[in-house]
Amino acid sequence: MNKKLASFAAGLLAAMMLLTSCGPGKQTETKRKDVATVEKATNPAKLPDVSKNRKDTLIVGTTAPSGKFNPIYSDSVYDSWVVSLVFDGLISNDEQGNPTPLIAKEWKISEDGKTYTFTLNKGVKFSDGQEVTAEDVAFTFTAICDPSYDGPRTDAVSSLVGYKEYNEDKEGKVKEVAGIKVIDKYTISFTLTEPKAPAIYDFGYGIMPKHIYNFEKGNIKPLKDKFLSPVGAGPYLFKEYKAGQEIVFEKNPNYWRGEPKIAKIVMKVTNATTVIQELTTGSVDIDSVPSKPEQIDLVKKAEFLDIYRYPSNSYGYIGWNLRDEKFKDKKVRQALAYGLNRAGFIQAYYKGLGDVCNAPVSKASWAYTEDVNKYEYNPEKANKLLDEAGWVKKEDGYRYKDGKKFTVHWMTYTGSKYVEALTPILIENWKQIGVEVIPELMEFSTLAQKVFDEQKFEMYNMAWSLSIDPDPSGIFSIEQDKLGGFNSVGWRNEESEKLIKEGLKETNMEKRKEIYQKWVKLANEELPYLFLSYANDTYAVSAKVKGLRLSPFTDWTYDIHKVELQDVK
Amino acid sequence: MIPVLIGVSIIIFLIFQAAPGDALTGMMDPKMSYETKQKLRKQLHLDEPGIIQYKYWVQNVLKGDFGESFYFKQPVGKVMNTYIWNSFYLSLASFILSVLIAIPIGVISATRQYSFMDYFFTVFALIGISMPSFFFGLLLIKWFAVDIKLFPVSGMMTAGSTAVGFAKFKDVMYHMTLPLIVLTLGSVAGLMRYTRSSMLEVIRQDYVRTARAKGLREKVVIYKHALRNALIPVVTIFGMWLPGLFSGAMITEAIFNWPGIGPIELLAVNNRDYPLLMGINMLLAFLTLLGNLIADVTYALVDPRIRLK
Repeated sequence: MNKKLASFAAGLLAAMMLLTSCGPGKQTETKRKDVATVEKATNPAKLPDVSKNRKDTLIVGTTAPSGKFNPIYSDSVYDSWVVSLVFDGLISNDEQGNPTPLIAKEWKISEDGKTYTFTLNKGVKFSDGQEVTAEDVAFTFTAICDPSYDGPRTDAVSSLVGYKEYNEDKEGKVKEVAGIKVIDKYTISFTLTEPKAPAIYDFGYGIMPKHIYNFEKGNIKPLKDKFLSPVGAGPYLFKEYKAGQEIVFEKNPNYWRGEPKIAKIVMKVTNATTVIQELTTGSVDIDSVPSKPEQIDLVKKAEFLDIYRYPSNSYGYIGWNLRDEKFKDKKVRQALAYGLNRAGFIQAYYKGLGDVCNAPVSKASWAYTEDVNKYEYNPEKANKLLDEAGWVKKEDGYRYKDGKKFTVHWMTYTGSKYVEALTPILIENWKQIGVEVIPELMEFSTLAQKVFDEQKFEMYNMAWSLSIDPDPSGIFSIEQDKLGGFNSVGWRNEESEKLIKEGLKETNMEKRKEIYQKWVKLANEELPYLFLSYANDTYAVSAKVKGLRLSPFTDWTYDIHKVELQDVK
Repeated sequence: MIPVLIGVSIIIFLIFQAAPGDALTGMMDPKMSYETKQKLRKQLHLDEPGIIQYKYWVQNVLKGDFGESFYFKQPVGKVMNTYIWNSFYLSLASFILSVLIAIPIGVISATRQYSFMDYFFTVFALIGISMPSFFFGLLLIKWFAVDIKLFPVSGMMTAGSTAVGFAKFKDVMYHMTLPLIVLTLGSVAGLMRYTRSSMLEVIRQDYVRTARAKGLREKVVIYKHALRNALIPVVTIFGMWLPGLFSGAMITEAIFNWPGIGPIELLAVNNRDYPLLMGINMLLAFLTLLGNLIADVTYALVDPRIRLK
């Protein structure tokens, strides 16, 4: 997926970002290999002199961030990188996506699954020297509850006890959110109205110092005015922002987990068109590279760049309107899955750098299971299933039922190589099983409006970028089947609903895993979507950078204080 | 001028309202619930009819407030101010360079019509007009940044540079060279052709013959008598150039990661960020009108036949 598509299709990867701050690493080498493959540079000595001479500065390529450098406002991956360099949250996560302690040294979840009590590490300091206390934590989460808050994090707090009362009180009578309780200087508890297992990840948002960001209830403007001068307890200090060009960071010498080894970090704006040139001339040390063999070959030719590759936490799919008579029948959906050469398409498009997706969960997630129907390309089986479903082939080669031809209007979006590669394969493959496809191209926002806000479609394709928690309720719960909701295909399955609810309530990891794997198998059998592809994320990293831990759930800012720049011979 | 601006604002607003989706449609984060989206829509007045939204917008504008960008969550003026000057520097440099190159070439082409030079520059102009900027930009990056490493791949300053004063100016110029070449090549071609044809027309006029007959030197005839008249239509083009100085070059800026307003406009359209888009467009509309005004005034300065009484 190219950068542009990714940023569109993924919508805003907000969900993923909170997971990017640092956490204590305990993974062994063998475990790491599951999540990311690293191809080492063949000849690090080829490192260009400009890069060799830049001994204390790490330059990371980025798409231009929007300048919302605040833990409760950032809504792009790039803004979130800035946030995770400057701020630390209560918790972080490891490379498998499990929550790990950060500012909070431990936490307890009450028996009923509703109350989370965090105990903070003592002596954690903001970069201005003040200690991080439970008051700062309470402030950070109360800010999201504020009536004037207009950022994207509301769902992290909307299930807190007392959220409504606080949020809807415009006169300022309600001074506190009842569900946020400061117990002592280092202990804080959050109480939810009902158990919500993924809620633990909502505590990964960076903690803001109250004495700097404080504002009067109902007027969040003073906080927004500080977007470009963020201060937190993170490993780096925010030094300078040149919009559209670069952001400069200096190490926080008093970082509570140890002084960072790299003195200066520069996030430099690059674009997908010239990223290879930036990397091979040594102007940037780390950047994401389009997962295309041609591009990766160019990176390899430079000989001094390590290549990191891992499955991205997202999947591409075709959505079909299950309210439509044609798609109501499970047999038809399965037939269409068997009748599409997905492996062929993925080979043609990703050239070995992508995988077939069979269920709506990331390959990297703990909820992933291989134990699902693979729907390998099988036109005979597809034909058989369609015959059984009562769609009869006529002389013109197309199928008919009750006098109606099997014609699918497929809405898709412009400007995507992915769509360009998929179109001929889809039309040709389905024609062979007697199904006519008529593609309709439109701009992405238009498509999103038709699919989600109006639900006027037969079939469309998009991609989902997932959050770290596999809970599918945001996309597949019955509650989301309404205009504007994300279950726009209208999947109403009792069994699925039951499992989703169970998964939300269960806080025991092992039991949750079982529930979600059951759900994954169900989704694979029922095919609410035709699942298409998993993409890979690829990063090129200069051989002089040591100790980077890239995975689907941890980006380059993860444990950045341990990363070093080494001389190469 | 004011009625025109009001008309422009209504038309832009209506067109923008007609585009499907709003600022939140593209936000497809499964972690963001329907309720949250609706709440945000309400906060931004997106749930109200277009005409009411326009009313809010006008009310704020009359107070001198162009609103807050949905995407940047910052005042529109602040966002524009951040990016627009970078575009301006690049466009201004390109404008000056284009004029310096195009006008002499145009004159030479006209005075030596059908000579080798004329054909050479005509071909050059055709190439310049037809060369897509994204392709030419990439070509320059490949030649000058990757192969011979003479210029940087992109950006406006060396990453992490803290230079000030002249050193900063030098650094910016160094980064500006390649995008400047791309932009200038595109505009030189057009301007040169205008100058040429305008010049050709003037040279055939009687007063030019008269000037020659007076025994004036050819240089004086061309540069004093002919050129001044030939430049009158060209001045109109300068007037039109004024909004162009601030509108940014979307493609060129994007390729060279020049932090200009061009890519920001595109972003505003894609994210349905109408306060920002309205802000940019109103500025451009204003500048277009101002440009016309300036062109009219300059006529008087360059055309000896027009005198304001």
